[in-house]
Amino acid sequence: MENQISDASDFAHTRIPKLSQLDTLLRCHICKDFLKVPVLTPCGHTFCSVCIREYINVQAKCPLCLTELRDSMLRSEFLVSEIIDTYRSIRSDILEIIKKPEDNAESRGNTSLIELGSEQDDSLIIDADSNEDDDIQIIESSGRKSLKRTTTDLTGSSSLRNGPRSKYFKTNSKAKRSSTASRIDSMIKKSVELVPCPICEKYFPVKELERTHLDECLTLQSLGRKPKEEPVKSKPVLKKPRVTPSEKSHLLRSHQDSKIEQDDSVSHVDKYLNSTADTGHQRLPKLDLPSMTITQVKQKLTNLGLSTNGSKQDMIARYNYFEILWNSNFCDSLNPVEVSELKRQLLSWEASRKVHNNKGSSNSIGALMTSRSDTQHAYKKLLLNLKTDKFDRKGWCTLFRKQFRRLIKDAKKMRKASIKGKEEVVSDKIQEDLIVKAETPNQVTKEKIADAVVEKPVPDSTNEEHVSDPSPEEQLTDPDLSMDLLDSLGTRSHSA
Amino acid sequence: MSSKRISKELRDIERDPPTSCSAGPVGDDLYHWQASIMGPPDSPYAGGVFFLSIHFPTDYPFKPPKIAFTTKIYHPNINANGNICLDILKDQWSPALTLSKVLLSICSLLTDANPDDPLVPEIAHIYKTDRPKYEATAREWTKKYAV
Repeated sequence: MENQISDASDFAHTRIPKLSQLDTLLRCHICKDFLKVPVLTPCGHTFCSVCIREYINVQAKCPLCLTELRDSMLRSEFLVSEIIDTYRSIRSDILEIIKKPEDNAESRGNTSLIELGSEQDDSLIIDADSNEDDDIQIIESSGRKSLKRTTTDLTGSSSLRNGPRSKYFKTNSKAKRSSTASRIDSMIKKSVELVPCPICEKYFPVKELERTHLDECLTLQSLGRKPKEEPVKSKPVLKKPRVTPSEKSHLLRSHQDSKIEQDDSVSHVDKYLNSTADTGHQRLPKLDLPSMTITQVKQKLTNLGLSTNGSKQDMIARYNYFEILWNSNFCDSLNPVEVSELKRQLLSWEASRKVHNNKGSSNSIGALMTSRSDTQHAYKKLLLNLKTDKFDRKGWCTLFRKQFRRLIKDAKKMRKASIKGKEEVVSDKIQEDLIVKAETPNQVTKEKIADAVVEKPVPDSTNEEHVSDPSPEEQLTDPDLSMDLLDSLGTRSHSA
Repeated sequence: MSSKRISKELRDIERDPPTSCSAGPVGDDLYHWQASIMGPPDSPYAGGVFFLSIHFPTDYPFKPPKIAFTTKIYHPNINANGNICLDILKDQWSPALTLSKVLLSICSLLTDANPDDPLVPEIAHIYKTDRPKYEATAREWTKKYAV
């Protein structure tokens, strides 16, 4: 996954440590990640298109050699782009294959010996006639001497004390090793194996059985009906030449991936051969927005279909980032995406910017939630994703369900109180504001949002249910953020 | 992007720590780090351990990190507030630099001060005119504040 941090040092302890150099060379020196839409500078250096364009807006220099650089000088590198895509698709396989053999052997040896110790009573005793007690004693006494003895020590000490038994020990450990291997084998098999349903006795993949079938089967049985006739009758277990467990797990994985990867590898070459620069879209010009009036800036944004929310500064930043995205996409990328996707990226960028800017301000979600120590960690994890576009809405809802419930409760109380005194017009107006997505979200306070939420026609009896699956408006307690997020969520569902 | 890049640097520093330096986030805040530098053995700061506080701007790596000494140090390019006068932390910053490279530069600044671009002109003057006196004072401060 993208979230997992990979770096060149992954190769340090493999059979080909020099691959770490290749790994480093394929990375951008600005984001330190694999180059995305690589572009070449006149000075011969390569960066991600978006990274270098963003940096040029700050400082018109090459980050590596500090020579002068303008974004019109950048040239796309389709070949490098395809090389990196190919490399990324095979990287984990390479890592797996060139793992140092002794690492594997060591870990396998350890597990088998650990098992040897733990299962001595039921299997060791069988062939060790009169010496069986001694055998156990050896392990126990050496174990008593030092708890942190290594496994090699164990075998070593036993061979010192008793010659013939060491042989026995070895054979036994070998047997154990193969039994461990077979156990791992069966574990792996289980993941693809079909398991019989205890009710209808038909075979299903474990996950399917647990998740859906058992329930279905039970309901059908209780209704006195026969289950659907669809499951497979035979046990298709993968039949393959015997391989070691690690190889096996790798084979399994690569087997699963192979189809996709093969398709990929073909298309990488084709993609490069068929690559042409997109000429359908014009480069967006850099504009001297600060010297323009607000109306002119707004006009420019409207022409591009961008929102004109926020201050002039916000709008300038929005245009500048959109210009980067646009030019990177239409001038440099081999696979340009639609304008709507660019707008989605822009929104998620703005949302992440908001999170940063709100850091420390008193009314941000961050400040609101950091006071809760128990949920703090989980919340931080989620918030980390808020900065990307993979924000886990459901997780967020469950995490703060209590708060949301409390807020709704509070709001209800307040509303009951207010009904007595005030007229409904005020809250109606607020609801209207919310519906037109509150151009100035700062004015909508937390209570008002909650208040407006209650305004929705929700009968009290179903309230619990309603809370457990809240709509976007209810999840968010912070008006400032909520509106941005709503915007971006809304747009995402459109583009998706 | 900044948080991802900072996480990457953290991992790099953990896996392959630069010689005589260490660094890591303070608490849960990825943007606020603390670092320590051992006084280089061939300098009057030998034997001392100097702490620094590091703040990454939200637009890191497009802007340099803000680094300051929290341990008092007698040096022509480091003032009483711990501010460091180092070109790569200002106009010579490049996003291709990493925190570990910056820390190494600070280490070498401790060995070779730059009295021609001083932050504390008095110390720079002594450094230029009476090197033994500078070294003695630096050693004394190190003993007093950094050991």
